[in-house]
Parts: sequence; structure tokens; C-alpha cells
Amino acid sequence: MEFDKVIHEPARLRIMMILAGIEQADFNFLLTTLNLTRGNLSRHVEKLESAGYLKVKKSFNGKVPNTSYQLTQKGSKALEQYWENLDAVRQSGQS
Amino acid sequence: MNTEQNQVPQDMEKLKEIPKWTRRYAQNRTLTNLVHLIIVLLIFMGIAVSSLLVGIAFTTGHMIFFWICIVALFAILICLFIISIPKFGGVKIWRWIDKRIYGYEGTISIPEPELMKKKKWVGQVVGLVFGLCVISSVFLGGKYNTLIKYMQPVSALYVVPFLVFLYFWQRPKIGPIALVWPVLYTIHAILIVAGVPILFTGNLTGLNMLLPTFGYGFLTFTIGHFYSRYALKKLKGITHLEGDAANGV
Repeated sequence: MEFDKVIHEPARLRIMMILAGIEQADFNFLLTTLNLTRGNLSRHVEKLESAGYLKVKKSFNGKVPNTSYQLTQKGSKALEQYWENLDAVRQSGQS
Repeated sequence: MNTEQNQVPQDMEKLKEIPKWTRRYAQNRTLTNLVHLIIVLLIFMGIAVSSLLVGIAFTTGHMIFFWICIVALFAILICLFIISIPKFGGVKIWRWIDKRIYGYEGTISIPEPELMKKKKWVGQVVGLVFGLCVISSVFLGGKYNTLIKYMQPVSALYVVPFLVFLYFWQRPKIGPIALVWPVLYTIHAILIVAGVPILFTGNLTGLNMLLPTFGYGFLTFTIGHFYSRYALKKLKGITHLEGDAANGV
């Protein structure tokens, strides 16, 4: 069984799981929660965005730019499928 | 696909808990509510003090002081309207406080419930009814002094349903810890009716309402705040990446 390469990477899986529990989170929240560097987090979210798993919202908090991320429907389905595959692999390994 | 790519994460069950802890953290970022409650309390204290001074100035004949107090009272009432009514700037103030408190941790939000989005008028009607109940009970309390003793138990008849409504109305934006407030309010009312000596008398009569209203509110938001810290700690314990995992793309 093949896993979705985009999601299977540890950092991206965590980003997807964080966003699965809420409506949206901004760059700063993901940065502090994941303990990643700005550059790495940017590259991970870009990959998820280009896969169509994340929706990016750019806004301003006063004069400060703010970028928020939201899981798309495609992203939710891909994440659900990912866990189903993972569970299947685990169960086949146990039996 | 190679074996490495197909490797099952060892911490699979823990990873599945990420949405749960993220949501619990977001639901319990209550420090903003705590600050908001303190501001409301200060406004009410301002109203009480300026009203008292208006009375003193009028009876002693200091008309300049009387008008200064009237202007102050009017200004405080405007502040109350601004902070209480979302359209008058209540939401903007709330967001400003929230950004100051949680800005360094980042912004996070939970979707508004569908019912809340579609039927906003329900919330407005309930708020209006609640306001009318507060005004009526203050009026009755002032008119019939004997009612002051039972003011808190009587108020529980509308405060508790209102707080419970707020929880169910805003769920899942707020967590079940919000129910601590109505539960404590109910227990307090039952204890008074049962005759347990927890009533304040004399100059402290006002505490009979202040303590359950603001005191239990503080307590609820404080519990919420500490729970959010715990949830964030749990979340970071699962999500923090070390070494290659943190750097790999």
C-alpha cells in the first residue's frame, strides 16, 4: 500500500493534523507549536498548498501582514485516506 | 515507493490526538475573557462610585462637582455600551486584547456553529431577554429591600439558563469548562435557599451578587486558562520535531 508522499512527511503530517482540529491557524501558531524554522515551515506549507490540501489567507493585523492556513476539503479527505491506509498497514502487520 | 517512505509512524496513536489537543487549547484561551470581565467589573464599579458621588454632591449643594460626576457617569455608561455591544466596537476591543495576550503564540480559531451563523437573531433575543431580567431584578431589589437576601437565588433563575445557553450556542467555540460558572452559581443559590450562612450583610450586601457573578466568572476563566496551558503542553509534546525530522522537507 502506498502512502500519500505529501502527507507522510512528519512535519507536514503534523501541520495537517493541527489544522484538522480547528478552522484556521496562522503561521506564528504553527511555528511555535512545531518548533520549525521559518524557512522550513514556509516550504512545508507551500508543498501542502500546491497539493491543494491547504488554503492560504493573507491579511493584515494593523500594519503587520498575517498569513493563516485552513485545511481544504481535498486536504481533509486526503488526511482521512492517509490514516485509513496507515491503519490497514498496521493491522496487516499485526495479523 | 521504498520501505522508508512506507514506514508507519511509531507514535501513530499520539499523532491522532493532535486535533483533540489543538481544539482544547483553542477553546480555553480564556485570558482575554478574564481581562474583559475585569474591565466590565471596573466599569460597574465606576458607575457605582460616580452614582454615589452624584448623590453626595447634590445633597451637599456642590453643583459644579455634581455636574462633573454626571459627565463622568455618562462617559462610563458610554464605555459600557461600547464594550458590551459588538457593533459599537465590543468585538474590536476584544480582538485587540486577544492580540496583545496571545499574539506571541499565534492566532487560532474554531469554526462558528452553523446555527449561530444562520440564526443570529436567536442570540440577540436571548441577550435582550437577559438584559431585561437584569434590569427588572435590580429594580425589584431596589424597591423591595427584603428581596436583596434572595437576589442571587432569584437571579439564578435567569443567569444559569443564560450561561448554559451561551455554552450550547457557541459550542464548539468554547469548551465544557464554561459550564463551571453556571454550576457554581446554582450551588451558591441552593446554599442560600437552604439557609447556609454565606450571605453578606451591612455594607457588604453588594458582594452577594458580585461574588457569584464576577467571582465564579474569574474562577471559570482561570481554570480555562490553566487547562489551555496544559493542552498546549500536551500538543507541543506530540508536535515538536527534533533533528532531521525538523529540518527535512
